[in-house]
Amino acid sequence: MKIRGVFIEDTFAEAFTMRVARIVITARSSRWARTAALKLTGFATSVIGCKVEAGIERELSLSETPDGRPGISVLLMTMSKDDLGKRLIERIGQTVLPCPTTACYDGLPDAPERVGVGSALRFFGDGFQSSKVVGGERFWRIPVMEGEFLIQEKFGMVKGVGGGNFLILARSADAALAAAEAAADSVASQSGVILPFPGGVVRSGSKVGARSSKTMIASTNDTFCPTLRAVTRTALPEGVNSVLEIVIDGTDAAAIVTAMKTGIDAACQDGVVAISAGNYGGKLGPHHFYLRKIMRGATE
Amino acid sequence: MSGLVAKLKEPLRQRADLSDVLAGSWTTLSARELSDRPVYLERDGGVRLGDLFELDGHPQGRIRFVGQLDQADRLGAGLIEGEVIVEGGVGREAGLAQAGGRIDIGGDAGPRAGAAPLGFKRGMTGGELIVRGSAGAEAGAAMRRGLLVILHAAGDRAGLGMIAGTVVVFGSAGADAGLWSKRGSVVALGGITPPPTYSYACTFQPVHLRLLLTRLRDGYGLPVEPRHLNGLYRRYSGDMAELGKGEILAWTAK
Repeated sequence: MKIRGVFIEDTFAEAFTMRVARIVITARSSRWARTAALKLTGFATSVIGCKVEAGIERELSLSETPDGRPGISVLLMTMSKDDLGKRLIERIGQTVLPCPTTACYDGLPDAPERVGVGSALRFFGDGFQSSKVVGGERFWRIPVMEGEFLIQEKFGMVKGVGGGNFLILARSADAALAAAEAAADSVASQSGVILPFPGGVVRSGSKVGARSSKTMIASTNDTFCPTLRAVTRTALPEGVNSVLEIVIDGTDAAAIVTAMKTGIDAACQDGVVAISAGNYGGKLGPHHFYLRKIMRGATE
Repeated sequence: MSGLVAKLKEPLRQRADLSDVLAGSWTTLSARELSDRPVYLERDGGVRLGDLFELDGHPQGRIRFVGQLDQADRLGAGLIEGEVIVEGGVGREAGLAQAGGRIDIGGDAGPRAGAAPLGFKRGMTGGELIVRGSAGAEAGAAMRRGLLVILHAAGDRAGLGMIAGTVVVFGSAGADAGLWSKRGSVVALGGITPPPTYSYACTFQPVHLRLLLTRLRDGYGLPVEPRHLNGLYRRYSGDMAELGKGEILAWTAK
């Protein structure tokens, strides 16, 4: 299969089930909503080293936010239920709570599983906090020097998918970067997905474990490293000198499929030789996203 | 509109106590079953709801009352579920000790809407009570939880002895609003003079009010104006003669 001359390899991306929360941050201006969201999603590229994967999902219009202010939705994902609550409490508590004018709401109101976040952070109020029930949901008003920080008591939690991906195999580093930027931009505002890595792009794709250490969880994906072509069992076609990866986490498999399709289509441009994907032989993750099926319009 | 419709057969010539009509579970009752619920007339004693109202429609968690109901007292008392819509005004003690559900009164409400029954400690413990006209004295007295919204004026002592919960008054609030409140919030979008036992704290923009008012605008179609959403509020803490954890939030143009 080829798209605009770019070969789509007959392979699949292997992804994992994760727990997802959607956090809606509002503020007086979009500047402060974004500032809080950027801090909240900092150092959250991979559960391997950050315990959490997070990213900005999209900007919200005034009519989409609970309080009618500018807002941003963020997805935060972990491998377990317990972890999700802990990470939400520590991250919101250390990044959104201190950020001027912000408020923080649950973005998954229909999720039956709930995790207490405001109910834990309220104690920062040292007994001066108060709560209000609005529309059947409890919100905590935590007094702060600026005024009050408002946060919803409980946040919804759903099973999502982490680790959807595709690899852009290009003739040059410039071509790989241009294609990766186009792919990341095309997915940037899509609902239900985040690209947790810097700018949505990964240059350090990994394999499970390491040749040289028994304790390392992950190490460089040498089969896709152009500089190792001569010394490893390379997976790179001839003419490929640079590879970049797009990693996609989502609220469900359908969102990943849509994002992969959009992203791959955008990445198929001059200088790109092939599109591949990262997997572990299908043994680790329950979600397998076959590139050719996706590009033909089929689902996972 | 779906749900049940209760149309007053004849104008009420004496006060009618409707406190048992919607207390407890009622949202799955048919028109006929609800007709059998008791009403107590001031002079004539107990009758059936069906003797006074013609009930029609199918139970879908909603009932609409039609007719001149200013002599109908305690409508929606003890409500725990469903939506009650009253096309006009109602008598005294509407939503007395309401615990859940919604009551939307199209006109005025008499004294003690959403309050506690006399001799009891707790008024509303949940739900939402909307009065699209004015409310008489002591609206929301001893509220424990829930929301009471008064679109025009509130009589004296609104939120008297509130334990918690929220009273929103779009018009002017009478004397001594929030008196002896423990933790409740009185939100005054019109004029209000806080009791002397309240202390001014600061002037700020409470985000939770934006959330609440946005919901009232979108959910009930209430005339929330941009100045209400974007404006500043003077916060008074009180009642200092009680816990002092309550507040009056008074909208201010400054």
